[in-house]
Amino acid sequence: MRRLAAALALVALTVPADAAENLVSGISQDTVEINSSYTGTDIVVYGAIENPEPTGVDDVVVIVRGPDANMTVRQKQWVAGIWINRDQAKLLAMPSYYYIASTRPLDKIAASFTLERYEIGLDAIVPGQIVSHHYAEPFRQALIRHKKIEGLYGESPYGVVFQFPTLFRARIPVPAGVPRGQYNVVVYLFRDGNVISAQSTPLFVDQTGLERRLHNFALSSPLSYGLSTVFMALVLGWISSLVFRRAD
Amino acid sequence: MEIYLPIAEMSVHWLIILGMGGAIGFLSGMFGVGGGFLLTPMLIFYGVPPEVAVATTSSHITASSISGAIAQWRKRALDLKMGAVMAAGGLAGTATGVWLFTVMRRYGQMDLLVSASYVLLLGTVGGLMLKESIETLRATQSGAPARRHTPHLWMHGLPLKMRFRESRLYISVIPPVVIGFCVGTLSAIMGIGGGFVIVPAMIYMLRMPTNVVMGTSLFQIIIVTAATTILQATANFSVDIVLAMFLILGGVIGAQFGVRIGARLRGEQLRLLLALLVLAVGLRLFLGLVLKPDDLYSVTTVMR
Repeated sequence: MRRLAAALALVALTVPADAAENLVSGISQDTVEINSSYTGTDIVVYGAIENPEPTGVDDVVVIVRGPDANMTVRQKQWVAGIWINRDQAKLLAMPSYYYIASTRPLDKIAASFTLERYEIGLDAIVPGQIVSHHYAEPFRQALIRHKKIEGLYGESPYGVVFQFPTLFRARIPVPAGVPRGQYNVVVYLFRDGNVISAQSTPLFVDQTGLERRLHNFALSSPLSYGLSTVFMALVLGWISSLVFRRAD
Repeated sequence: MEIYLPIAEMSVHWLIILGMGGAIGFLSGMFGVGGGFLLTPMLIFYGVPPEVAVATTSSHITASSISGAIAQWRKRALDLKMGAVMAAGGLAGTATGVWLFTVMRRYGQMDLLVSASYVLLLGTVGGLMLKESIETLRATQSGAPARRHTPHLWMHGLPLKMRFRESRLYISVIPPVVIGFCVGTLSAIMGIGGGFVIVPAMIYMLRMPTNVVMGTSLFQIIIVTAATTILQATANFSVDIVLAMFLILGGVIGAQFGVRIGARLRGEQLRLLLALLVLAVGLRLFLGLVLKPDDLYSVTTVMR
């Protein structure tokens, strides 16, 4: 009996009933290139709802999530007259970038347990692992606050706009400080508070041109990189002494 | 036009960086100091990560010292042997400083190490300079010759004596090696050349003749800051070559104007101004340590 139910569920998931509501989406560019004049850009996530049903409420949530990073949050304490870092919490596997746009504020779209299950919303971001002797929630809150100030975490409760009854778009800022790597753009379609469809598209963020080469150079052959920096300093200093001696 | 710094991973306006380098170059040309003690805090206040600021400033000092060293070399006003002995101590000090830097970074106390070193050093040096220049100014006004403090030279009794012909000295190598070591450590931790420590040490502790002091200290500073740059690049990956280039370009231009202004001011006035500047930077960093920060939390991100 249970096996039958599972099989039926599988059929329901894999065979698209042509009357069911469905989601198609895309992004304006599949790579973001950080070059020497990069000061941040916007990507546009767009999409359409197929076979919309006449009754019920549709909501769309767009999440752009950067590659995971390990983050250490430290808290300063007043020790012997000065403020120094004392307590800390390591939050492992946190998104290095997280932006969420939705048609309405999240608490109006779905119940909190639904949001938590899909890790939708800044409150629902949880680290893969916490290493700390302390209650970690204040550290997590501080991290989210910091990342928001840096522009790496963000939310836009009315950021998904329906231009036509079934066509939507959202503008996602990608600021200058974003880390490189593979990002994931996930679009969720909610109907009456339940996720009925989701679509995921990869987005690549990478340094290009000279910046990429310098960055790779610094990491792959640090000794030559250091020597080159010193050489550049010596040559520039020497040239300037020649140039300005002639001017005197 | 904004430029993207590949190691600091931030975008900055190139004119601001060029201007910073220029301002520091101006002051260093005017006062005859490297200016690292001003540049590093300035970069940190601007938002450059402290480890990048410290490491990158080292290469700036290499560049700003080279033209002075060449000029002194032409005049033969430097003691190569003394410079080499001090640089040997300096290299060991640099290695120690970079190691300390790496360890403190791991424990999240790097900011504290940098700030506390700055407060201690700038407070001490600034205070001594202020005291000395006020005494000199008073003495000049009253017409009496300035009194010089010379410490008791217990160090003359140490073993391993060596002859330094250009300095006309026959002293133990231990004091210059130790001085070199201390300055090398400071250089790595604070991103300074250490000229304003090493010059008084050479004059008052080693009793070197003043005509070779400038050239010898520049020689030793170039070797130590070059080594610091290379070690920071290999141990901490924190040297930003693009940032360095713009700082140096600004610096070498600013220095030329600074030298011209500095030539018009009197030595005592210059020392008084420099002392006030040093104390102001030290005070600013001191306040950063003792005042309650706006945000008690800080975040370090390591990509996996």
